[in-house]
Amino acid sequence: MARGFGLMIYWRSGLKKKELYWALLVFLAPAVLALILMRIIPAAQALIESLFKTNVFSGEKTFIGLENYFSLFANPDFQNTLFVTIVFALLVNPIQVFSALLLALLFVRKFPFSRFLRSLIIFPVAVPPAVSAVMWSAIYRPDGLANSILEALGLAPQGFILDQRQALMSIIVMLSWIGVGYWMLFLIAGLNDIPDEIYEAARIDGAGYLRQTVSVTMPLLIRPLSFVLVATTISNFLVFAPVLILTRGGPVGSTSLLMYDIFVRAYSFGDVGRANAGVFILVLLMITAVSLQFFLLRKGNQQ
Amino acid sequence: MKSTKLLAKSTRSSKTLIGIVVAFLFMLPIAWVFSNSLRPGSETFTWLDPLSWKTFFPDNPNFDNYFALVDTSLGQGIANSLWTTFLTLIFGLTLCAGAAFALAALEYRGRQLLFSLVIFSLLIPFDAIAIPLASIFKDLGLQDTVAGLILPGVANGMAIFLLRTFFLGIPKELVEASRIDGLGWFGVFFRIYLPLSKPALVGASLVLFLFQWHAYIWPLLIGTGDNTLLGPIALANMKSQYAVDYGMLFAGAILLSVVPLVMILAGQKYFIQSSATSGIK
Repeated sequence: MARGFGLMIYWRSGLKKKELYWALLVFLAPAVLALILMRIIPAAQALIESLFKTNVFSGEKTFIGLENYFSLFANPDFQNTLFVTIVFALLVNPIQVFSALLLALLFVRKFPFSRFLRSLIIFPVAVPPAVSAVMWSAIYRPDGLANSILEALGLAPQGFILDQRQALMSIIVMLSWIGVGYWMLFLIAGLNDIPDEIYEAARIDGAGYLRQTVSVTMPLLIRPLSFVLVATTISNFLVFAPVLILTRGGPVGSTSLLMYDIFVRAYSFGDVGRANAGVFILVLLMITAVSLQFFLLRKGNQQ
Repeated sequence: MKSTKLLAKSTRSSKTLIGIVVAFLFMLPIAWVFSNSLRPGSETFTWLDPLSWKTFFPDNPNFDNYFALVDTSLGQGIANSLWTTFLTLIFGLTLCAGAAFALAALEYRGRQLLFSLVIFSLLIPFDAIAIPLASIFKDLGLQDTVAGLILPGVANGMAIFLLRTFFLGIPKELVEASRIDGLGWFGVFFRIYLPLSKPALVGASLVLFLFQWHAYIWPLLIGTGDNTLLGPIALANMKSQYAVDYGMLFAGAILLSVVPLVMILAGQKYFIQSSATSGIK
């Protein structure tokens, strides 16, 4: 009897184990497999292929080490792409974070119509990036809405995306229009997490609004702010559709961002090796920028 | 005391004023595009010189441009976008919720390792690896198939992360009690975890939806056939044609924007909640 009962427990726990394995197979295996196949393997493949040279006609692959990287860095067009990408990153990310912060400070406390006005600012987030680019291509036309507004204000018409000196900034304005409302939401959530008592205490100590913002809000907002900075940095390194649709990298390479350069190398030139080297350089650039931001933020926090 | 109240009131109304100006600037491009989707394409740029109220208010607003889209590749593209996004949502939610459950509720060796794998995949920007992945998909014969379009979107690291964080908050006692009552893991998932996780499920749906609906580089590489050409690509193709009908182009742009807008407004509350609690902290 006792032996039978022991067997019974053994059998039941074996059953439980079996059920757990089944559950893992059904619940977890598909997602893990999909992530390995469609995120990790292509990333590894990009890294490996960047070390090979592929013959366009025969498809034959030869190992050439870091040759693709060296020839990219020696190429003046690619040097220009790197320069444009870095200038773009240094402009667009601070502009977006700062605008999102100003908007969050404006919209965090309720005022008449605040909810309605806030949702109008979030509206552009809904517009797919490619669709925004198509809209703004009409706005930036010489006879488009932007010049029409300038004229109504008594200002001279501008070239925008047709002007070498304005094209990059025109893209930055468009991207900020798309993204700023979205990043504002995260900062509003962060602002709401700051306890009211802290402001109460600051007010009793005689701090005005500006003083409160600088000495209370900013230090306590550092986490959501750094999250938004990192997230904008990553998403802005991946900007592609607006370049393809608005400028195709021009005029004179002034908007040749790295993602676009990689795409052209892979599809117009069929240069798989260097395109993959470009992918890896892009990822390295992102990792460098993000770690630099973390390093600076941590240093700023300690002081 | 009275003066501080008055001051607070005047700050509030000046905030409203600034808010109106900012919201007006943000809405200007969309208002212009919308108003021109309601008048013939031949008039798109004629009402800009000079700028007047007529720029934004057509004389005879009508939906002709929207109806004219039906037989075009752009109309077909929008229909394709709806279908592929719907499929991504159904399969993606099933896959991600299942994985999140296995990472939050089940106990086994290697769980932490598998979770690190999810986080690691989250760090690989999809757009950057789209080009090498597309060549793998071509070799597998997935070019120009609906499966090829939706597969990269169904396992979403962010959606898994969001759902797992929420699932971890469900009390273990609840699970243990129902296990003793003889409920299997599938029962625990369907009867306990899913019904309790509405906010996280809405948030994850929005993540999955926007990934697919806003995708550009992936469908550009994979979908070029009648049934796989997606809305945003069809729209950009139409714009680069020699003679562009801006009336129809803008009607398509509005349709492609309204769908995600409805989704975001419907899920906004849950989305902010869930991303604020799992994304930042």
